Amino acid sequence: MRRQQILFSVVLASAMSLPAFGQTPPQGAPSREKLIRDLDEVARVASVMVDGDLCQRIMTERASARLTVVDPKNRWAASDDFDVNHENYIQVKKLLIRLSRLVPYPCDVNLWMPLEKSPGKIQILIRNANEMSQFWTWGALHQDTTPAMREVLESGQRRTVVEKSGMVSVLAPVSNGLGDIVGLVEVVSRVSIDAHENVK
Amino acid sequence: MLKRCHDFLRLMWALLLIGPFVPVASAAGAELLAYREYLRPDPFGGVVAQDAAPEDLRKGTLNAREGIVVEAPRGGYVSFHLVAKIPQPGPYAFNLEIADRAGKIQADVFREWFHFVDADSHYYPDALIPVALPYRSELPEPDNRIPNQTAQAFWVDVWIPAGATPGVYRGRATLVAGKTRAALPIEVKVLAAVVPPDDAVTLDHNSYGSSWLGDLYPKLRERLGDRFYQSDEFFGLIHAYHRIFYEHRGVYHQLGYGHGGKVGPEFAPALAGSGRGKHIASWSLFDRHYGPLFDGTAFARTRRGPKPIPFVYLPINPEWPASFLWWGEPGYEAEFVNVISEMERHFREKGWTQTYLEMIFNQKKRYKAFPWDGDEVRFAKDNEYYLEYGRLLKKALPPDTPVKFIFRADVSWMMEDQFKTLSGVVKFWVGNSAILSWYPEAPPKLRERGDIVWYYSEAPSVQEVSSAITFNPFKTWLWGVDGYLHWQTVDPGEDPWFHFNGGSVVLAYPGERFGIEGPIPSLRLKIQRNCLQDIALLSSLTRGASADVLKDEAARFYNGTKPVDWWNPRPAMASLPPPEWSDSIFDQADQAHTTAIKNLRPSAWENVREFVFQRASEAK
Repeated sequence: MRRQQILFSVVLASAMSLPAFGQTPPQGAPSREKLIRDLDEVARVASVMVDGDLCQRIMTERASARLTVVDPKNRWAASDDFDVNHENYIQVKKLLIRLSRLVPYPCDVNLWMPLEKSPGKIQILIRNANEMSQFWTWGALHQDTTPAMREVLESGQRRTVVEKSGMVSVLAPVSNGLGDIVGLVEVVSRVSIDAHENVK
Repeated sequence: MLKRCHDFLRLMWALLLIGPFVPVASAAGAELLAYREYLRPDPFGGVVAQDAAPEDLRKGTLNAREGIVVEAPRGGYVSFHLVAKIPQPGPYAFNLEIADRAGKIQADVFREWFHFVDADSHYYPDALIPVALPYRSELPEPDNRIPNQTAQAFWVDVWIPAGATPGVYRGRATLVAGKTRAALPIEVKVLAAVVPPDDAVTLDHNSYGSSWLGDLYPKLRERLGDRFYQSDEFFGLIHAYHRIFYEHRGVYHQLGYGHGGKVGPEFAPALAGSGRGKHIASWSLFDRHYGPLFDGTAFARTRRGPKPIPFVYLPINPEWPASFLWWGEPGYEAEFVNVISEMERHFREKGWTQTYLEMIFNQKKRYKAFPWDGDEVRFAKDNEYYLEYGRLLKKALPPDTPVKFIFRADVSWMMEDQFKTLSGVVKFWVGNSAILSWYPEAPPKLRERGDIVWYYSEAPSVQEVSSAITFNPFKTWLWGVDGYLHWQTVDPGEDPWFHFNGGSVVLAYPGERFGIEGPIPSLRLKIQRNCLQDIALLSSLTRGASADVLKDEAARFYNGTKPVDWWNPRPAMASLPPPEWSDSIFDQADQAHTTAIKNLRPSAWENVREFVFQRASEAK
């Protein structure tokens, strides 16, 4: 973990102009064009830094097995039984927070993981503090993979998406040690920050 | 003197309006009907089917005799429905007067909105729109848009202050429609008994964030534009929501952060810095929001008088005030302790020491932002976070602080275990109703060690019998717990006015469509308030009789049960790890609760009320 953080700092110091690390990003965001450039750079770094093997070990086996179970006698089983391995989750989440702080304005880096046993389905597995996403249906445990996500998962190329008003997301692939693309990150921000959105 | 002249002129105006007194009009002309609070009128001169059992109708129809006769103790309200019924569409005028030379007794009148519920294609009255008297309109009511509407209902709240003189007060209700007129005499018997100002149980009403205010008040939001969320009007709205629940003997909570830890700016002081340097940069929005609530001035012009709110959610969550980036590291503790210590100092200096400041974790891991459940822990490993936050809170606070920080947990599956493992850490428990019903021995034990105990569930929808709203307040008192939480009580659904979802959460509606920049009450909120008054009075009578005897009697009058019937046996599955429980077993384990509510009569609470008034009269 420590070694990864040092490597991370070295890689990024040359890649980007950093705000004072650990500082809460100031409010306000730049133009859409600058957002697209900045977020693409964060996404490029994220593809290198996020450990796909670790991401695959975030969910507990039991929760993974029950994620798509539909049981009329136990309607909330999949949600109620959703569970993660804390250490793996925390390790990846901290990295995503660090990545989001590469830009000096509110930004989230979310982790999305396809459901292995349900082709075409994907879940957001780690969200972050600004609660931004262009893709997450609030409260959904899993959802359909969007065409843009599918493209990234299949091609391994980053993809910028500007669909929801004022929001910019850059999707970037996450790979494991075998070279398989096992997930993707959504690096997201907005031109105009909504301080009250998703405070619920 | 001026006030008396004013009252006299109003009376003269009323006499002019109705002309010579006419008793209840015949069916051929304008007709005034009157019902006790539990008989909800429909827009066609009848009563909502769920409330219209023959025996209850007989008992609750107040205009069946010479006029309306109601009785009530002082320090509270007595309420009833008046229905203006006219045979032909057209204009009408409705008025009501209650004479009190001392000018203490006041009547508030509300027009009852009839909500069309798509699920069963019926109308139910619920939202109450304050009206000035005399009220002039026409049927069908233009804004309610009910085809063939022949009756408009009004909710009447008669406020009897504690200082009113016991005795009989008279008044009348009048209706003029075309050439026909009707009137009903009103007699309010004010008892010597006084409803205690403090409640025996706390009725909480919760909500999440504040973006819904922008959604429910679109005209105001449009007028103020980008300034909306920092405007005086915005904070005025928040305070108005606190006020409406306070005026109805309730408490209001507004959670200020999301499941990912995003904090609404008005719910937390603004922070700056990081690690050792993390600190509070500004109290501006926080103090505008909470200052009048913590010192009670937000309630200055209420009938109950100014009083600090008893409870509030703090913005503390896994991402605030410390960043989750440092979780498990010294930096997390430094950021947490710095900021919470500053908050404690600020509250102490301001004298904000009457309110319980709740550290509550609402996040669920299913919403994918944190690895542990704060709300309703289901996995034992998640309790470790509770222990750590308990340690951090203790470290942040001076041991002798007069500021009432308290660690709260909303619990369900794991409550039996958590009552033990988090003993001394969590001091405020809000339990799932069904699961808490398995542990009758738990509340007294928890309260004995100084903990606060509430439970939660949803409000009954308008499609349930009117008395269903009294079920949980009464159960709270029967169970001997401190409070009860209604969930999401400000969410009216997408179209409450013409395509209502039944309102199984909402108890206060947005008033904007009626020109009111603030919430308006629901009929259910009124019935609940009146029930709380009775419980407060009943509870005060324990000086003359044991609480157990009163509970036995009250439960018998309510629905023919005994207090023990309100608990469920602990099911065998409770010994299994919660992840092995299933919904179906869970439902079976809550059978006593569901049976009790299914057997509820519309007049259930009225029966208890009669018992309370009788005991109160004997107690003097």
